[in-house]
Amino acid sequence: MKAKLTRRKLAQTLLGGAAVDAIAQTMTPPTPDADLKAARDRLKATSDTLAAQNVPLDVEPAFQFKA
Amino acid sequence: MADIGSDVFFATIPELNAHLKAGDFSAEDLARAFARRLEQLGPRYNALALPLPQDAIRKGQTVDKDIKRGRLRGPLQGIPYGVKDLISYAGHPTTWGAKPYAGQVFDYNATVVDKLDAVGAVICGKLSTVELAGGGGYRYPAASLTGPGLNPWDRSRWSGGSSSGPGAAVAAGLVPFAIGSETSGSIVTPASYCGVTALRPTYGLVSRHGAMALSWTLDKLGPFGRSAEDCGLILQVIAGKDGKDPGSAGRGFYYTPQYSRPMKELKAAYAPVDFNERADASARPAFAEALRVLKDTGLQVTEIQWPQMPYGAVLSAILAAEEASIFEPLITSGKVDQLADQAQIAGLKAAMDVPARDYLKAQRIRRMMQDRLLRLFGEVDVLIAPGRSGPASKVTDRLDAGGPPGASVQGGFQGIIQAGNLAGLPALVLPCGFAENLPVALQLVGPPFSENALLAMGREFQAKTDWHKRRPPGAA
Repeated sequence: MKAKLTRRKLAQTLLGGAAVDAIAQTMTPPTPDADLKAARDRLKATSDTLAAQNVPLDVEPAFQFKA
Repeated sequence: MADIGSDVFFATIPELNAHLKAGDFSAEDLARAFARRLEQLGPRYNALALPLPQDAIRKGQTVDKDIKRGRLRGPLQGIPYGVKDLISYAGHPTTWGAKPYAGQVFDYNATVVDKLDAVGAVICGKLSTVELAGGGGYRYPAASLTGPGLNPWDRSRWSGGSSSGPGAAVAAGLVPFAIGSETSGSIVTPASYCGVTALRPTYGLVSRHGAMALSWTLDKLGPFGRSAEDCGLILQVIAGKDGKDPGSAGRGFYYTPQYSRPMKELKAAYAPVDFNERADASARPAFAEALRVLKDTGLQVTEIQWPQMPYGAVLSAILAAEEASIFEPLITSGKVDQLADQAQIAGLKAAMDVPARDYLKAQRIRRMMQDRLLRLFGEVDVLIAPGRSGPASKVTDRLDAGGPPGASVQGGFQGIIQAGNLAGLPALVLPCGFAENLPVALQLVGPPFSENALLAMGREFQAKTDWHKRRPPGAA
C-alpha cells in the first residue's frame, strides 16, 4: 500500500511539527468571528485610552465642527 | 484628428490650456485622446471604475463651440479629468467601490462635478476607490470592486488608498487631474505613493454634496494634479459655499500666486526624528535633500516638538461612530457581508457598539487638539513631514500587520495625518524623490484656509526640483 505524502507531512518531517504549526497559524486567515472579536478589542482599547484622558468641564464637543 | 503625443498626457493645466488656445488641437481631440487612454490603460492599474468616452467627446465638442464664440471660462476649459467613484455623476453608476452598491445610480451630480462642468472641464471617467473609502478598516489593498490599486511605478506595489484611482490615473498620465477624497489619509497616501502633487483642503472649503459620506466631521474632497499650480487652479473652481453641504465653511478660494508672501518671511517647523529615525532608511536621503531644498528657498526652518496627544484613539472613535450611523442600513441588513475585505466587515459591525460617551469624549478631546494646533500655528506658518514614511508597500502586504518601521519612535509628528484631519487642516503633498525606485513625498500642513501659502511653498519647491515631472516607466 502506498502512503500518501502530503506537503504538510513532508514539511513536518523536514522542519519539525512545532515550526509547521507556527507557519500554518500565521498563514491561516482569521475567521469572521476572530476578526469581529479583534475589531471589538481594538475599540475597547480606544475606549480605555479615551477614558484615561482628563478633559476640563467647559470643553464642548466639536459637533458643529468648523475649521 | 490632431496628433497628441505623450508629452501632452503629462502636461500641466496651463500647458494644455496654451495648446488649446494656440489651436494645436481641439478640446474634442484632447477629450478623445484622454478618454481612449484612460479606457485602455486604466485597467492596467485597476484605476478605472467607469469609462465615460461619449460624455467626454460631447463635452469636448461643446467646449470647442464655446471657444469659437469667445465664451472663455478659465484655465480648466477643455481639460479632461476623472473623479473618484464615490462622487456622483448623474445617470451613471456610482458604486462607492463596493459590491452592495454596484448598481447605484444617482439622478444628480455632486457639486464638484457641476462646478467643473460649468467652467468647461471634461469628465472622462470615474476612478477606483477602496470600498466605502476604507470605512471599517481594511486588511488588504484588494478591498475594492476594481481590485487592488496597482502603482504605475511598479505594479507589484500598491497605489495607496482610498483614492487609489485618482493617484494612479494622474501618475500614469491617464487624466491631467482628478478629484479624490480624504477622511484620514486617503489623499495624502496615494499621492505620496504614486508621486503626484495633491491637496487636502481645509475642512468645509470644498462641498461634499453628492459624495459618499464616511464621516460627516472628517470628510474632504481635493485635487490630484501635476503641480502645486495645477492644484491651485483646480481648487479655485471646486471650492466655495454650498448650502447643500452642512459642513460647508461658507467661503471660496481665490488662487492668488501674485500675492504670495516671500519665502524668507515664512516660518516652517519639522521634527528631526521624522526624517532621521521614523522614515524608512531607503527614503531618508530623499527626505533630507528635500528639506535642504526647502531651506534654500529662504524659508525659515526650525525644529520643534509635536504635541503628543491620543490622535489615533480620538480619530478611531469618531470615525467608527459616524460610519456606523451612516452605514447602519448596510450593516443591519446583512449586506455588509458582501464587502470584499473580511476585516472591514468586522470593523463596521463592531463600530455599531461604540458608546455615545466615547464619541462625545473624543469630540471634546478633538476640540482641545484643535486649540493646541492653532496655538502652534501662532508660532509657525507650516509644518513639514514625510507624506508617508517610505515608498508604497507591496500590493499583497497586509495593511494591519503593524506600523511602519520607526512607528514606535517618540517625539516626531506621529499621527500628523490623523491630527491634520481632526483639526481640519489643509495639506499639500509634494513628490520629493525616490526610494527603492518608487516615489516618496513631503507633506506641508498649514492652519485652516492657508492653501495659498502652502501652494506658494509648493511652487517654490517645484521650481527647484523636477520630481513632479517624472514619469513612470512604461506609462509614456
